[in-house]
Amino acid sequence: MNEAGSFDIDFQKNLIKDGPKFLSHTLIIKEHKAYLKPTISAMLFCVVYIVVGLFLISLASYVYYESAKLDLAIFLGGFGIAIGTFGISLIQPFLKNASFDKSTGQFENSSDRNVKLARIVSLQINNKVVLRKQALNYNCFELNMLTKSGRRINIINHNNLPQLTADAKKLADFLQVELSDHCRQITL
Amino acid sequence: MKKTQQLLALMMLAFSANTFAAEGSGFSGMVASLSSAVDGFFNDYTGWFVSLIFKSVPIGDANFPIIVAWLLLAATIFTVYFGFVQFTRVGLSIDIVKGKYTDPNSKDEGEVSHFQALTTALSGTVGLGNIAGVGAALAIGGPGATFWMILCGLLGMASKFCECTLGVKYRTILPSGVVSGGPMYYLSQGFAEKGLGGLGKVLAVGFALMCILGSFGGGNMFQANQAHAMLTYAFDVPSEYGVITGVVLAALVFSVIVGGMPSIASVTEKIVPWMALLYVGMALVVIVANFDQIGAAFSAIFDGAFTGAGVVGGFIGALIQGLKRATFSNEAGVGSAAIAHSAVKTKEPVTEGLVSLLEPFIDTVVICTMTALVITIAGLNSAPFDGAGLTGVTLTAASFTETAEIFKYLLALAVIMFAFSTMISWSYYGLKAWTYLFGEGSTVELIFKVIFCFFVIVGATIQFGAVIDFSDAAIFAMSIFNIIGLYFLMPVVKQELASFIARVYSGEIKRFD
Repeated sequence: MNEAGSFDIDFQKNLIKDGPKFLSHTLIIKEHKAYLKPTISAMLFCVVYIVVGLFLISLASYVYYESAKLDLAIFLGGFGIAIGTFGISLIQPFLKNASFDKSTGQFENSSDRNVKLARIVSLQINNKVVLRKQALNYNCFELNMLTKSGRRINIINHNNLPQLTADAKKLADFLQVELSDHCRQITL
Repeated sequence: MKKTQQLLALMMLAFSANTFAAEGSGFSGMVASLSSAVDGFFNDYTGWFVSLIFKSVPIGDANFPIIVAWLLLAATIFTVYFGFVQFTRVGLSIDIVKGKYTDPNSKDEGEVSHFQALTTALSGTVGLGNIAGVGAALAIGGPGATFWMILCGLLGMASKFCECTLGVKYRTILPSGVVSGGPMYYLSQGFAEKGLGGLGKVLAVGFALMCILGSFGGGNMFQANQAHAMLTYAFDVPSEYGVITGVVLAALVFSVIVGGMPSIASVTEKIVPWMALLYVGMALVVIVANFDQIGAAFSAIFDGAFTGAGVVGGFIGALIQGLKRATFSNEAGVGSAAIAHSAVKTKEPVTEGLVSLLEPFIDTVVICTMTALVITIAGLNSAPFDGAGLTGVTLTAASFTETAEIFKYLLALAVIMFAFSTMISWSYYGLKAWTYLFGEGSTVELIFKVIFCFFVIVGATIQFGAVIDFSDAAIFAMSIFNIIGLYFLMPVVKQELASFIARVYSGEIKRFD
């Protein structure tokens, strides 16, 4: 904060380090409410873990019931529980939709405090390269919002820029706030 | 949903305890005939390739594969050419890893530190090569193979230094913004700079083709196969039920490489170093518990290295096995590490080369030696060393189990995690080579990923024979193209090293203590 009481905010700074390499959500606007809807492909990849986890747990039960191989049953069951739990933890953020509700005047998501819509100043798009250690690096994009108190909150985070840009424009119109593009050249 | 249920029921049925012992039952027979067909296919259609790559010259009673001599000679030449860089600059390497040449105030967002890069590369390198590879080397080459593995590890440090420096220097930013590097790029660009663009392109294409085959073979089928072999050893799961291991592994690999889900990749990256620590910890427990036998074990290693007692081909036989398995484990000279290291964020390519040279030391000189000590101490590997008894991952697992029964379960856990992470790493290498040949594009990439996942199932299902030979051959074939390139481009690396050292001494590159 400077002497005049204003903030210096770096809009190019990413709020989230990671991000999916696919379109995770799309924006839906219905009457007085705008909300993020998870895509089917995003859900399917989470379901893979739950299915594999359940399969291994079932297999463990079956092996123990049929052959009383306790060590194998524990091994399979342990892996199944770990993978299934992981799948559930992955799918949870997709199920808790962020929403902007004009009837209540609130922005809600699962991880941040609710924000009054009147306190939202602007929206920003910025980019990042997600560095994978054992896989291809890829571009990812964030749609963030700024509140009057200077707080920045992430709204969308995925790698489909055209869809994110379209959703950002729709949301800016819905909220009647300014949208700005802060994507930059990233050199590794 | 109904189809999914039917599939699950079918798999459960296949795993039924009643069929466990049913040798020759319908399912077992089907898998056996599938294995035989796949092995026959590989023998018929890739046998010539394997023979070509492992073409040998008779030395004494042994046949010495020319490719092994090729790698050893290259590592020796690089060691001499760079002034024994792996010994003279090891202090500098450690300082770089410790961040003493990184300005703590200038660290950019998203930067991967050299230490992170090293632990990442190590977690990709430490794996089944250290467990199954050492088991195979000692089963055929006797304890003396360990000595030659250590020698190969020490010399291989110079090869890795050279290729990883070039990997960063000639990396490219693709139209999508993704950084891509590795032998494909330094072969084509480096040779073009020298006016040999045509030759460089041929070498780059040859390397990329071999890298794709290597990613399906040693980086995939071998891993899946050994993961199931470990389950067979630890839990008496019949080998013909590898199809279930394959389907589960393939589903998880699919979700990572096709789904692009960030979390599982992050989790894998976090777990694998712990698995490496778990493995080293278990080896230390065995070694400390048998402290009085360490002297005898080293004695057997040194005696076996030069006498080759009980080994087909004598000491040459031990040497061949040691060098082959060390290369398979530390990948020095193969070119794969150059792909992995090229994504690091650095302005000085040579710093990545200096960091990477620590990998063969830790991987082969330290960890492979620990495995070899565990096997030698356990005494389950006895002459004649013809691979007819326990071999590969089962020899290593049985040796660990001699000290504590629980180790086989912990080892099973570590082996599966290592196999999974190595498959992810090699899918990355293979994909880089694939996109180099066929260009970027979601459909093009999806084709590779689907084929890759299919091979996971194949690898876990079939019984090896010709397939493991092919896996070996494809990875070794990468070194043919890579090392030709390294010979041409090593002056570039020497210049980079000299420039970096000069700037360190002049103070232009600051040290932050």
